[in-house]
Amino acid sequence: MEVKLVAAPAVRAREVDPDAALVAAALKEPRRFLALYDRYFDRVLGYVRVRLRDDATCEDVTSTVFVTVLAQLGRFRGDGSFAGWLFQVARNAVRDVHRRPGGDPLSPQIACPEPDVAEQVLARERVAQLRAVVSLLEPEQQHLLALRYGAGLGYGEIGAIAGAAPGTVRVRMHRILEELRGRYPNDD
Amino acid sequence: MTTDELERDLRLLAEPRAGDERVRDLTRARLGELTRVKPRRRRTPAIGWVAASAAGIAAVLIAVVGLGGSTGASPADAAIIRHASRAIALPANMVVHVKEIGIQNGKRVAVEWWQQTDAPHSLRMIKSYGATEVEAANNGTTAFQYDPGTNTVVETPAASEPALVDPIAGVRRQLASGDADVLGTTTIHGVRLYRIELPTGVVGYFDTADYRPMYLDNPQANGTVVRTSVVAYQELPTTSDTTKLLSIVAQHPGARVETRPAPTK
Repeated sequence: MEVKLVAAPAVRAREVDPDAALVAAALKEPRRFLALYDRYFDRVLGYVRVRLRDDATCEDVTSTVFVTVLAQLGRFRGDGSFAGWLFQVARNAVRDVHRRPGGDPLSPQIACPEPDVAEQVLARERVAQLRAVVSLLEPEQQHLLALRYGAGLGYGEIGAIAGAAPGTVRVRMHRILEELRGRYPNDD
Repeated sequence: MTTDELERDLRLLAEPRAGDERVRDLTRARLGELTRVKPRRRRTPAIGWVAASAAGIAAVLIAVVGLGGSTGASPADAAIIRHASRAIALPANMVVHVKEIGIQNGKRVAVEWWQQTDAPHSLRMIKSYGATEVEAANNGTTAFQYDPGTNTVVETPAASEPALVDPIAGVRRQLASGDADVLGTTTIHGVRLYRIELPTGVVGYFDTADYRPMYLDNPQANGTVVRTSVVAYQELPTTSDTTKLLSIVAQHPGARVETRPAPTK
């Protein structure tokens, strides 16, 4: 059982990168990049939404991520997966927002200007509380959380990005959730 | 809360929104342009109006890269830019009041903002999008949100002191960058205005009489321009009356106040 938790060699992630063919096509013919965009738009937007609060900022950052990746595609060496590189760009973009004066502009208490699905299901304050609790986690923990619950990636996909075995990712995620649950205020 | 419930809520944070298709299409169109035609002049990615207003045009303007060197403003133009910059310089010990309105996706968006220019930079803001309105405040130690439906003020310990980021902060910074260009003058609703292009492509319209900003044209990815009207820009002395503008409780004296705990560290 323990053997399965050993980190997968990085070369393996490169060999099985499901985006390799699309990346190669985009490098030859830039318009083919749109296929990568179509594949990852929802996932990147979801990732950003877990990391940032303001809807419009999330949209801007997502757009910027793809424009950046397109502009720098020629620098992608294929040492890791394309997804890993893409989400690293997204992670950097989120970090840039946090570094701005004012950071992620709206505090949790003043977020949510636009009705959305989440607010229809959760009370506004509960969303704000959850966002506030997530923001207390370490950036690395937020990154993993966003890959899992924002981008909807499986443990294997996250492992390929993080350079760890799926089992290792599962254990880390479990610990993050436990920490998150410990910080979450009781409803009563 | 169970782990399942927590995972469900985490997924809801990233739940698709009604406007996602618009964002997807706009970004796709921009990428399509970039892969087809090399732009003559590099522009920044589109800026959403809400992003450019709510948190401040500030936060967005300073985040994007520059567009190349200054064209070298003439002495007259440099003087105009300097006056405009001074007109919105923030003096100490004041309360800055800004209100902007615009149209986004056919809905009226408005942001009104009061903030101390000195620490702890207490602020109160009202942001509306269509029929939805959010009013919130933060005095550095406590965050407040007003629920008009129940006439309740919910207060929670603030995680941090708010930053001084009024909606004009980005304009202020861009004017001071040395890369703003005076495009000329124009008249809107009978008011003579200087047109000044900021390094990020936003065009500001400044009153020729007092150099205060009146409008901001924000180019979008689809080629359209969203105009934001600065309907109020005031620097108010700090008095007991203006201090009340920073307080939700003072603005809603009949409201019930509910205190909730902060997330535990």
